[in-house]
Amino acid sequence: MRRREFLWGGGSIAAALPLLPGLASAAPAAEITMTGRRDGSRVWFDPYGVLIRPGQTIRWINRDPANAHTATAYAPANFDHPRRIPGGAAAFDSGYLLTDEAFEVTLEVPGVYDYYCIPHELSGMVGRIVVAPPGADGFADYPAGDLDPVILNGFPPVADILQAGKVRHEEG
Amino acid sequence: MKTLFAAAAIGALAAAPALAQDASVAGSPPDAPYQKVSDLVPLPDFLPGMGQLFVDPATLPAGPFMAYDRDGQLVSTIYMIPLSAMNADTAFDNLAAPGGNVDHVDIYFNAGHPGVEEPHEHIVLWHVSVGDESRVAE
Repeated sequence: MRRREFLWGGGSIAAALPLLPGLASAAPAAEITMTGRRDGSRVWFDPYGVLIRPGQTIRWINRDPANAHTATAYAPANFDHPRRIPGGAAAFDSGYLLTDEAFEVTLEVPGVYDYYCIPHELSGMVGRIVVAPPGADGFADYPAGDLDPVILNGFPPVADILQAGKVRHEEG
Repeated sequence: MKTLFAAAAIGALAAAPALAQDASVAGSPPDAPYQKVSDLVPLPDFLPGMGQLFVDPATLPAGPFMAYDRDGQLVSTIYMIPLSAMNADTAFDNLAAPGGNVDHVDIYFNAGHPGVEEPHEHIVLWHVSVGDESRVAE
């Protein structure tokens, strides 16, 4: 099995420190699967809505045997897309992941992180991560109007993520 | 009279020549300008359900993509037509069809992939029987 692991440090040693032995966050990494129908007619992240704590790691893994996927933050730095990550948070981009390849990022800044798959954005393959301390509230959906309605329909409401912790695709 | 027409039609079908297969695409790898898709874009070398794909990059996005089984035998010719191109002002004329006889055709939606990064239709001309599609199933 081919496997490529990425550790995104945002260009700083400090950002990578939480993953060092003995310093790791108490919360285990949350995993998001990239998958889809066998014929490629539908593709999605599962779960596509996830609640994590500040300093927790998110890990995407491609389990689709017939397609490549990315986990790419909505930010101008990523192909001039609108910003849909918190102020002060750095944009992440996994690059293309082939089958069984994975990518990790540790998110420190509380807020709502929207991301997409580069070749499947127009098919609504997007996801949302809410980074929030226990009991925190005040997080809201981003205003509509900056993306195509097909894409916007792919995001689960922030309230659903806060309530359920995970929001899964109906075929997941 | 109907009998005469029917006989003439059957005779015409029987006389129709088989579609010739271009020898340059019969086995994997096909001759240039075809290139392996997985060398052009980040995709698995063998795609379950389709096989190992080759395309002339100059023909993207429509193709034809030539698909082979694990033994290097041609199984299908695939055209990929973006939904955005299915309109009154766009046509795809004279697409190459070098694969020879067509057993049956599949048409289905694809959400996109590297190389054709927008929703599109796969039009698959199978050169093998429905049962032999299993040669590229895994």
